[in-house]
Amino acid sequence: MRKIFAIFWKDTFVRFTSPLEWLFFIILPIFFTVILGAGTGPSDDQRVKLYVVDLAKTSLSENLFSSLTESNSVHPVLIELNVAVSEFDERKVSTVLIIPTTFSQENVINNRAELELRQQPNNMNALIAQQAVQAVLSRVSSAVDIANASVAKAESIEGFSFTSNDARQVYYNQALEQAQTLMNEAPVRMTEVEADTADPVSYDPRANSSAGQLITWVFIPLIGLSAMFAFERQKGTLRRLLTTPTSKAVFLGGTIFGQVVTALVQMLALVLFGIYVMKLNWGHSLAALAAMLVSSALAAAALGTMLGTFVKTEGQANGLSIMLGMVMAMMGGCWYPIELFPQTVRVIVKALPTSWAMQGMLDIVLRGQGLSGVWLEALVLLGFALVFFVIGIIRFKYE
Amino acid sequence: MRKLFLIALKDLKLAFRDRAALTLMLLAPFALTIGMGLITGRFSGNTNTGLSDIPLVLVNEDGGSLGNALVEMMQSKDLESLLEPQVMTDLPAAYALVDEDKTAAVIYIPAGFSDSVIPASGQSTPEEPVQIELYLNPTRPNSVGVIKTILEQFMSQVEVGRIGGQVVVTQLLTSGAIDISQAEAVGRSMGEKQANEAGQSSSIKLNRVTNSGEEVKFDILAYLAPGMALMFLMFTVSYGGRSMLVEQAAGTLPRMLTSPTTTAQVLGGKVFGIFLTGAAQMLILIFGTTLLFRLDWGAPFAVFVLVLAAALGATGWGIFLTALLKTPGQASAIGSAVMLIFGILGGSFINVEMMPDWIQFISRITPNRWGLDGFTTLALGGGFANILTPIIGLLAMAAILFVISVVIFSRRGIGRL
Repeated sequence: MRKIFAIFWKDTFVRFTSPLEWLFFIILPIFFTVILGAGTGPSDDQRVKLYVVDLAKTSLSENLFSSLTESNSVHPVLIELNVAVSEFDERKVSTVLIIPTTFSQENVINNRAELELRQQPNNMNALIAQQAVQAVLSRVSSAVDIANASVAKAESIEGFSFTSNDARQVYYNQALEQAQTLMNEAPVRMTEVEADTADPVSYDPRANSSAGQLITWVFIPLIGLSAMFAFERQKGTLRRLLTTPTSKAVFLGGTIFGQVVTALVQMLALVLFGIYVMKLNWGHSLAALAAMLVSSALAAAALGTMLGTFVKTEGQANGLSIMLGMVMAMMGGCWYPIELFPQTVRVIVKALPTSWAMQGMLDIVLRGQGLSGVWLEALVLLGFALVFFVIGIIRFKYE
Repeated sequence: MRKLFLIALKDLKLAFRDRAALTLMLLAPFALTIGMGLITGRFSGNTNTGLSDIPLVLVNEDGGSLGNALVEMMQSKDLESLLEPQVMTDLPAAYALVDEDKTAAVIYIPAGFSDSVIPASGQSTPEEPVQIELYLNPTRPNSVGVIKTILEQFMSQVEVGRIGGQVVVTQLLTSGAIDISQAEAVGRSMGEKQANEAGQSSSIKLNRVTNSGEEVKFDILAYLAPGMALMFLMFTVSYGGRSMLVEQAAGTLPRMLTSPTTTAQVLGGKVFGIFLTGAAQMLILIFGTTLLFRLDWGAPFAVFVLVLAAALGATGWGIFLTALLKTPGQASAIGSAVMLIFGILGGSFINVEMMPDWIQFISRITPNRWGLDGFTTLALGGGFANILTPIIGLLAMAAILFVISVVIFSRRGIGRL
């Protein structure tokens, strides 16, 4: 046991000799947790972005913009003409509504008001924006349209004519007033009922980010155990161990134990950050948390041990561990909610330990479950650990 | 100049012979792109990048003119790509589809809706209007928003028709232009006319201008692949910078300076080598994804110019880090950290537009952000003229970082890194 601790102290000392290690141990994981916690997840506002350029700046144009902001399908953004045109040309926005300087109440009454709607070709978002703009225009101009139609109908009736322009204007004004009154008094003909549909995606950006980044940043260095084995093999220090009374079990035990303990300390630090800074519910079941942290760390360390028997150089192992760690984290749902993956992929990723680790961590921090809720995930992770360790130990060679 | 090229080519060869480096230069971006393609459903044709074919159920118990008009409108050719309406008669079964998240909404048109808006001859308007019910799925707010907009437009059309008919008739009767016997016929014809025209405001003309170019269906991989390529481009440039520090530590760099080779040639050659390696990496990834995933990156010339600009901007960062750092170990660690930080800030992991404004502002220091802006524009059908801003941004970034690096190098001497 003394030898195992000696190896553990040596590895920890070597690892933290460089202050840069802290960058990957705690600084970057926290940075990523905070950024992803703030910037991911289903957006609060996923309406189609509609750029609105208001060159008129009249009460009517402001009223039009205000009506657009109430739309359920478009998110209007007031913007300068040159910026809107530039971004439209760069295909960053599907639709731009330009309200020209001539857009005034007077011109609406005289049927001379015009708007320009620029759309990307055959673009679904542009079609949605067009529907929304037309709906709003219909509301804004309907009373005027009715008054105009009223005058036109009167003039079309045989034997009827206005005695003067003033009489025509009075007729128009009366029709407009009556239309406005009736529009305001129009009964509500539509009712909304919200169904009690269960959300298929259980997601809290902060909880998902905290759990996901914890797994990502712990799995990568633990898979990187392979680089330690490759390094020692390359340098011949493993062969030198043969001359000492140290068994394979002691060497592997010491190395793995050291890395697992370091990983547990790192995970605890990230959990504490989650509890005290991000106000997440990590600590309601210490038994569940301990089961998940230990089983996840063991599975990752076992994977690193196994990988270490397949790679030849430290450089190869470093590259592979970063790549594998990132791919497994992503596919395991540590970056994006697994519920959004296609069904087939969701089944396939069950073959990854990261997927079970993430599920277990979310059971704790997001779904508030205890040991009874995470025992299966912990057991599967221990199963992964067992298989990987067995392969690693069987294949392990000093040279 | 020949020496400069020789040094650059030597570094390029060394980089592409290093299997460990190739893992992160080529294998990792490919693997992550494939992974992202899988989880976004790109390879299963299951991408959810926009709103289309919104599932909707219509239950029409009205059977009157307005109820039928609403069903026809929802099934019209204009909306066929946007909506996927299904007509059902069993209301509880329709509700169940929403409850089970199998459809976005149910529009229920109850019996008597048409008559409550336009009463049949000899009947009066009911005191309580018969209301259409929108039974909506709260987990699909965007789809519901679109359905609601279309439904509101229809209802507005109906109301304009009703009020239009009423106003015209009242005005005509008051002015004596028609008598009471003509009122119903005039009212009906005006109501229908107003209702039909209500979607197209006559007093406000909406001039629709469609941008030039053909329909471009955005391929999610056209965002993911450049995102990953740009992230690992940062690895390549830091790897190049690290090679300078390795040469310094091994003594080959000072030895090079004892030959008839100037400091400018050595530094220029190293920088050019990093640039060539980065550009080659990007071009290989572009070629590979085009071939393997049939990914259309956009106009080839513009893509090529953007690759060069991105490689130059990233090289600027690589050389800047080299100027600041002292050992190969530092370059490896800081280089990897910068790669990841720029990756997340620049949009390689998540769309920058989803992030807070201050992060979007900071992201402009990364070549990833400018590069991704440009590649996305090209993938959406833009041309060279549309990516001038990202290109200028990347070139300016390169110029600034080169100048700063040269100042640092000139202070401490390239041989004494």
